[in-house]
Amino acid sequence: MDFDTIVLGTGLSESILAAALSKAGFKVGHFDANPYYGGDDASLTVDDLRDWAESRKKNTNTVYLEAQRQRFSSISLTSSNVPRSRTFSISLSPTIIPSVGPLVDSLVASGVSRYGGFKLLESIAVFDQPSKVKPVPTSKEDVFKNKELSLVDKRRLMRFLLFAAGEFEGSNELAGQETQTFLTFLREKFSLANKVADAIAYALAFCTSPSDLTLPALQRIRRYLRSAGRYGPSPFLVGHYGGIGEIAQGFCRAAAVNGATYVLGRNIMSLNPPPKSLGSQANLRWSLSLDDLDEHPSSRIVAAQPAYISSSSPSSPGGRSARCVAIINTPIRFSEPPPELNDDVSVEDIGPGEIDTGLLIFPPSSVDSGSSTAAASCLITGEGSMATPSGHWILSFSIPMSEQDASREPEELLKPYLEAALTLTSSPSPDSPTKPLLTCYYLQTLPSANMVVLSGSPQPLFTVPSDIVVMSETADTAATHAEEAFWKIVKDLERKGVKPTKIKSEGEGERSEEGVGEEPQLITQFWPPLDSVGDDDD
Amino acid sequence: MHGVKRVQYSQAALEAKKQRDHDKLKAYLALSDDVIARKKSHDMSNEAFELTTRLLRMNPEFYTVWNYRRDMFIESLFPQRSPSEVNELLSDDLSLTFELLKQHPKVYGIWNHRRWCLEHIPDGPSPDDVNGYRNSTWNKELFVVEKMLDADARNFHAWNYRRYILATMPFPPPPKSELAYTTRKIEANFSNFSAWHQRSKVLTTLWETGELDRVKSIEEEFELVRNAMYTDPDDQSVWIYHAWLIGNGNYAARLQFEITSIQELLDEQPDSKWCMESLVRYKRLLIEKHAENLGDKKALVDSCLELLAKLRDIDPPRRRRYDEIAEGIRSGNEMQ
Repeated sequence: MDFDTIVLGTGLSESILAAALSKAGFKVGHFDANPYYGGDDASLTVDDLRDWAESRKKNTNTVYLEAQRQRFSSISLTSSNVPRSRTFSISLSPTIIPSVGPLVDSLVASGVSRYGGFKLLESIAVFDQPSKVKPVPTSKEDVFKNKELSLVDKRRLMRFLLFAAGEFEGSNELAGQETQTFLTFLREKFSLANKVADAIAYALAFCTSPSDLTLPALQRIRRYLRSAGRYGPSPFLVGHYGGIGEIAQGFCRAAAVNGATYVLGRNIMSLNPPPKSLGSQANLRWSLSLDDLDEHPSSRIVAAQPAYISSSSPSSPGGRSARCVAIINTPIRFSEPPPELNDDVSVEDIGPGEIDTGLLIFPPSSVDSGSSTAAASCLITGEGSMATPSGHWILSFSIPMSEQDASREPEELLKPYLEAALTLTSSPSPDSPTKPLLTCYYLQTLPSANMVVLSGSPQPLFTVPSDIVVMSETADTAATHAEEAFWKIVKDLERKGVKPTKIKSEGEGERSEEGVGEEPQLITQFWPPLDSVGDDDD
Repeated sequence: MHGVKRVQYSQAALEAKKQRDHDKLKAYLALSDDVIARKKSHDMSNEAFELTTRLLRMNPEFYTVWNYRRDMFIESLFPQRSPSEVNELLSDDLSLTFELLKQHPKVYGIWNHRRWCLEHIPDGPSPDDVNGYRNSTWNKELFVVEKMLDADARNFHAWNYRRYILATMPFPPPPKSELAYTTRKIEANFSNFSAWHQRSKVLTTLWETGELDRVKSIEEEFELVRNAMYTDPDDQSVWIYHAWLIGNGNYAARLQFEITSIQELLDEQPDSKWCMESLVRYKRLLIEKHAENLGDKKALVDSCLELLAKLRDIDPPRRRRYDEIAEGIRSGNEMQ
């Protein structure tokens, strides 16, 4: 088994890369030690989640699992009987996808968008106090209808939204303010009231602390404002069946259709570097030793999640976040229960009640015994996004561990947030609050890098750095990194004289004849043209 | 849309589509020639009727063929048929036009044919219940026009049609529910002349019949429009509705209140042309109609002239208009 590129790990970024390389005509071997697609982005059933928790807690003898143990620590999972447990899709990387951005571009250009479905995020709200959330106005319509903002607040908020949606680089308001904190910028330059500024910073720009800077926050807001309206009022999509795990699987399918080989669920015992050679570098190959497989797959290039290469990750003080997954069977409401219907009020006048797919943001200090320096988020996914059976919802909490919170256990830090969210459910009786069917707390640490690309020399050809990325940027960052890695690999292979084999596709007729001395087709695009025009593409 | 890349198709895929389109075009031209020939020869057969259906599905803007179809209904399909059969035929055409409207919401011919069908619903189903067919069909129409307005709230064809339905249907819903409907549409997107216009018509009816207390209702309307004004001072439809609410300006206290409110908005948004223009309009009304109660008339006149000077600067194409208004104010002043 000789490949042009071996990819280790089927996370979103690696899967996009595998699909692009395969479609470009290269031979790809894609491996994952887990028995499922998605890697650290996977969507898991309840039992899969239990297995995942167990395997990351045990002592182990493989590089990959040891790296995983360091990445996911302090895991505690408790559950009662969860009915229809196989119909749950719990994401290890809960994400919302902006409607305009590199991931959606890649989904459409690669045709992988046809494999799966998406749900528009229904609503974003900010937690105010127990049993009360405030909606986040993100559009003119939201601002107009909002009953809590004063007239002057509305004008100032609209002024800000218009500013943020336009070309603000070089504007007067921004002059000298790029490294100012975003919250201060909002208060000083737009005279926004504190609560309004909080909503913008934490629930529109998804800042995670009061010290987040202005320019990156503004750039995110602009991207999201421009995403609104493409598929519906909300700027964000949530993938069916647990989000990006399913999308990663879609890209793997595209890769397989274009000739990639897949091996899941086999431990990788070692990744062997090319033997030292004094001759040409062009033919050096890496090889894999897999558990219970005599053959050693080989390749000039290896693109790997670092967990497959080395178990040690540098301990960094930053880059840790506490996570919680909970399953509940009572719905969460963002607004009051409906008033009585009479002739003057029709059904449509009543606002959104139960949330199926929504986002709840907890600004710093919004929850007693929570964090006073970091903002937490809670993604709610229900039946509408195919993540659960009817009558059940998954709550996914995430909070970055600031210096102040560094010594706290994930359960101790996040439990107050879970309880706060549960005050938004209508419990069966006031004395017995809603109890989750399952809770899983853990600590997640940033890996040393997101992807490492190895070629002939001992130094990596390319490293995708690992950065703290807000939840709304995870998907687009993965797509961008995949494209960067793609070009590095393609250039390297071209330098070594490796030509992609054109796969015969429908309607293209015979394989193009290459005469002697003719130059082969060079790759000029990330995704080649699609093979058929669907009628709904008109 | 900004930032959205076009999808790329391979040469082969584009060629295949071109071939499919070519074949479609050939088929259409053949069908169209056939139908027109039959119309010329006054063919009123069932076969001709089916052909018009096929042709109209491909091109619903072909109004000649709609006419031909209606001729066939009257001359050959309706005569010797029972009321229930006629009703059946018209129901089918209502379904057909609804389907076509989804793809072509602004084609006059389709809306026209729908009206014609509604107006030709026969008496029935029985001599005791002469309006049965009509009632059930007309009730569904409101639902249809609401679907169209959900798809595009600014489609004037749909709003016109809605007014036609409400005026003609046997048991229209009460005006209050129509008011709630306009509220929904305005909340969804207040940049919608048609919705505000409809609202003004409905409110007038409700005030005349006494169902709504006029004074309280106008207060609420000013509240609503003020919210819209502050949210987007550039939206024309909002200011036009506001002007309608002010009316002839006979109520001085209301004028003062609104002037103060708009001035506050102007303080927040100093470049707002509509604020300035409205302030001039309302201050003029104060000067003209309530001169005897005004404390400092000169201050009002001066502030108008100041605003008009600013308007000349920010809206140069309408300079001469502002000059003329200023002249009017000055000369009106001198006459007193």
